[in-house]
Amino acid sequence: MSEFTPTYVPSRRPARVVECQELTDGVVRLALRDSYIARHAKPAQFVNLYTKNAQRLSPRPFGVCEVDGDVFTLMFAVVGKGTEEFRHLRPGDTVDVLGPLGHGFNLREDADYLLVGGGLGVPPLIRAAQELSGHEGSTSTVLFGYRNVHFADAYASRYATQLQSIDESEGNVITLLDRWASQHGVAADADGALRPAAQGRRTVILTCGPLGMMKAVSAWAREHGLTVQASLEARMGCGFGTCVVCTVHTTRGILKTCVDGPVFDTAQLEGWEAAR
Amino acid sequence: MSERTNAAATADAQTVAQASAQGTVRDSAQAHGLAQAAQVGEPGQLPCNFDATRTFQWHHKTVVAGVEWKNPVGTASGTFNFDAVRWFYDVSQMGAVTTKGVSPVPWEGNPVPRTAETPAGSVNSVGLQNPGIDDYLVNDLPRIKATGATVITNVAGHSDDDYAQVVTKLADHESDMLEINVSCPNVSADGLSTGTDPVALKRLIKRLRPLTDKPMIVKLTPNVTDIRPIAEACIEGGADALSMINTFVGMRFDIRTGKPILANITGGVSGPCVHPMALAFVYKTRQAFPEIPIIGIGGISTGEDALEFLYAGANAVEVGSAALADPVAPLRIATELDALLDKRPELAQALEEGRTW
Repeated sequence: MSEFTPTYVPSRRPARVVECQELTDGVVRLALRDSYIARHAKPAQFVNLYTKNAQRLSPRPFGVCEVDGDVFTLMFAVVGKGTEEFRHLRPGDTVDVLGPLGHGFNLREDADYLLVGGGLGVPPLIRAAQELSGHEGSTSTVLFGYRNVHFADAYASRYATQLQSIDESEGNVITLLDRWASQHGVAADADGALRPAAQGRRTVILTCGPLGMMKAVSAWAREHGLTVQASLEARMGCGFGTCVVCTVHTTRGILKTCVDGPVFDTAQLEGWEAAR
Repeated sequence: MSERTNAAATADAQTVAQASAQGTVRDSAQAHGLAQAAQVGEPGQLPCNFDATRTFQWHHKTVVAGVEWKNPVGTASGTFNFDAVRWFYDVSQMGAVTTKGVSPVPWEGNPVPRTAETPAGSVNSVGLQNPGIDDYLVNDLPRIKATGATVITNVAGHSDDDYAQVVTKLADHESDMLEINVSCPNVSADGLSTGTDPVALKRLIKRLRPLTDKPMIVKLTPNVTDIRPIAEACIEGGADALSMINTFVGMRFDIRTGKPILANITGGVSGPCVHPMALAFVYKTRQAFPEIPIIGIGGISTGEDALEFLYAGANAVEVGSAALADPVAPLRIATELDALLDKRPELAQALEEGRTW
């Protein structure tokens, strides 16, 4: 007779800082050692970081960027006092973490994935490119838009089948999508799904970035008959489904961004019908 | 919390990952979006400072309105969601768990943003989003009770009829206690609530009391000048216990836009910042009413914080915001308090007999 042993996932715990570098002004890449996260974080899953300042108790959720053995990386912009604290972490320091959390991208289908990211929405897409680099039946085309410095290209290009990026001096990710479409002989307003690849694979868009950008990508995709999985950002109170502050209205009802997402099929998101 | 962070807890996560790589995967944990569960065996195996997965032995129970709690620490309503935390710890180990406010029909809650950080706390305005009592009785309560937990069901409403309807439906089900939430600042205009009007409150409790045999707790708001007439109204209406405090009305502004951060404009303030005020509410009520059982709530993040409530005259406590910053915080606080009570036999004895300090 075997006794039932309950199993639990690890709760909040300290992780050791391996590396903390500023990629460009105000954009930080942080590498942390936590084998549980490093071995289990799926693309677009996120982790909470917590400040050491007892005045600031709310979680700071970040999409996992890359995993390597027992180490995972994050990439974030310094936007407030919490991220300012994390910017000054040094190798050997610890920072409390919880995760991985949430439901990530669905990459089960063999497809040509377009990874469309803007600004600090790129980390989950880099993780997706990393995952897809191990899928023989799929390709990943990374299309990144930046304000100016192309800070993430070096990381994404390690894994992507192709990479194109753009900054505001030249255009935005829609410019890249239009280019991609013309290169692949795809006209706007084409009806039905695209089949640009000879193998007859579907094209699937994964996107993460500013809300306006993701809505524009979603509208572009609809015009071209493509589906979009978007990784949403939200102000969170806990990150694991308790507090119910990060709600999003969907065709499946009011859902929590943290545990029902952060990835949603944009066709299910209310208020995303507006054209770009 | 920062001390915990600094403590060199480097327990190797490797053990856990290896254990889970060896097999034990809980499908439901994956369905929940969490990474595969780690096999849990001996204490100290998890890479946490506090091991929530070991076997617990409680030395100090308490009794609240005739209901025995395994220990004096419960979870506070709105900060406990069974499906969110059951992956992290055995919820039946808590003194009690209080479920999220449940209304006669599903409530959509307030628009987002619903939370804003504030020094040593947060301001929240969820608006009691919940799937309604019928869903709760089928999908929530039976599963929580099946763990062996002592369950307090928090009852919400917009009107006396709403409360009566929910209490009536709960009467035949397996909740151990009911907590009547007359104090949420986020479901009515201007953050006012029934809990600020002694006449309306007494009328409501009098009406609810005969509807069920279950012990009835009334959760009070701190948004009043004097808590005593409010407490008195509850006691005269037939309340078996009081819990305090709910959140303080508050707000934050975004200084870039000059606009309030919360879509609902105001919200409820909670967290360590409210702890001293919460203690004063409990103390004043205890001084005025020596007999009524009191559950102390407000800014508890350590066993010491909880102990202060017991010295203020509470029979038990509930942990709220701390459970949002660490899912296992309520259980950690319960173990810390258990150890503190070991050294305070007189207090421990009083609680065990349903008395207070």
